[in-house]
Amino acid sequence: MRIFFVLLALCFFSKNSYADDVAIWLEKEIDIILQAYKNENISNEKRFLLIENTINSNFAGTGIAKFVSGDAWSSANKKIKKEYIKLFKRHLALNIASMMQGYSNQEYQLINKNYDSKNKVSLIDMEIFNDTSNLLITWRVKKSKDRFFIIDLLVADISLVVTKRSEFNSMLKNVNYDLKKLNILLEQQNENSYNKLISS
Amino acid sequence: MKLFKNCLLICLFLSINFNVLSAVSDKVNTDSEDFKTTTYEDKIYDPLEPINRAIFGFNNVADKIILEPTAKGYKKLPSPVQKGIGNFLNNLKLPLVVVNQVLQGQFKNASNSTGRFLVNSTAGIFGLVDVAKKIGLEQTQEDFGQTLAKWGLGDGFYVVLPIFGPSNLRDTAGMVLTYSTDPVNAYAVHQNEAWILPIKTATNAIAQRSRIIDEVNALRNNSLDYYAAVRSSYYQNRKAAILNTDDHAQTPLPLISIEFE
Repeated sequence: MRIFFVLLALCFFSKNSYADDVAIWLEKEIDIILQAYKNENISNEKRFLLIENTINSNFAGTGIAKFVSGDAWSSANKKIKKEYIKLFKRHLALNIASMMQGYSNQEYQLINKNYDSKNKVSLIDMEIFNDTSNLLITWRVKKSKDRFFIIDLLVADISLVVTKRSEFNSMLKNVNYDLKKLNILLEQQNENSYNKLISS
Repeated sequence: MKLFKNCLLICLFLSINFNVLSAVSDKVNTDSEDFKTTTYEDKIYDPLEPINRAIFGFNNVADKIILEPTAKGYKKLPSPVQKGIGNFLNNLKLPLVVVNQVLQGQFKNASNSTGRFLVNSTAGIFGLVDVAKKIGLEQTQEDFGQTLAKWGLGDGFYVVLPIFGPSNLRDTAGMVLTYSTDPVNAYAVHQNEAWILPIKTATNAIAQRSRIIDEVNALRNNSLDYYAAVRSSYYQNRKAAILNTDDHAQTPLPLISIEFE
């Protein structure tokens, strides 16, 4: 009987230790981004490049880009898809960098770690402490080939990926679901976002 | 010998368990069509889109000219003052929160909110200090829109209200119910002090807007279609509020495959 409880405890422990591994990895990557904001000696351009590199290596950018493009993906050719993924990754980085702009040394804590075994996704809740109110962010992380990838980010119950899909669907509807035309709009938007971010 | 047997069994179990887990985690579906398999319903019924977009444009300008600068100014107030105003406004909402929690059958939450109201209105100096939180009475929110949803009423179509912003038919009805049944509003009108109503609404809007200045700017500056982004955000936020999804595992999960270029 005792052995049964030991085995049960070990099962629970190993599942939690997996979520712990994800949390440790995530904390490290978040700190890289926060350090970029804390360092006042680097220019806005360099700061963004650092953040973009961190985001590109830790987000499942290609998968998110495909999800967001919906049905328009299948009708586009390889070259257009490649261009779209490149533009989307920059768009994602600009969005996250822009969200982080108001960062002013707030403390944060990873408060909850869960593993959704059905979808094979780790859910890490992060609370950011502000003077007047706290903000809850949930990171969704998947593992592939011994590496972790962020597949979504929820800010106060709002999924970044789902919002982007809805937004892109609306734009794609205007351009007849033509990914090539969307790329033109996305490039313009990225340019505008980048200029706003750098000049701020 | 028995101890050795037990240790052996534990080691065997550990090895199997870790191998199974790592094998499971490595079997991430990399099917290129995976992105199509999402169960998330992202089609929002918006038959009045052209009119909504026009009102949204007006609201956006009003936000840029009036609400955002005011919210930025409000944010410069000392944090105890901001906290006090926020607590006071939240406390005023509590009687209706209790009503809605009862209507939804959330009796435990209703007693919790009643406790919050009593403690904060007295020990918390008319709600200025959130004493209740310190004794474990956490804040929960419910409104008539959520109650109607719990009773089975659908969203209806999406609508952008002038000044008030994104809503839908059900939540608009809920908002009307809130305004018409709010005891604070009723008391102010009864006392011929109706001017309190717009002041209360405006202060609430400023306090709420001050909490999301960066998020709104990030969305506004980086969206391909700001209108669609706000519409989607509104629906996701309301869905979570109706389902009371404290557990984010319940939030619809976009199925995203991981691929390497």
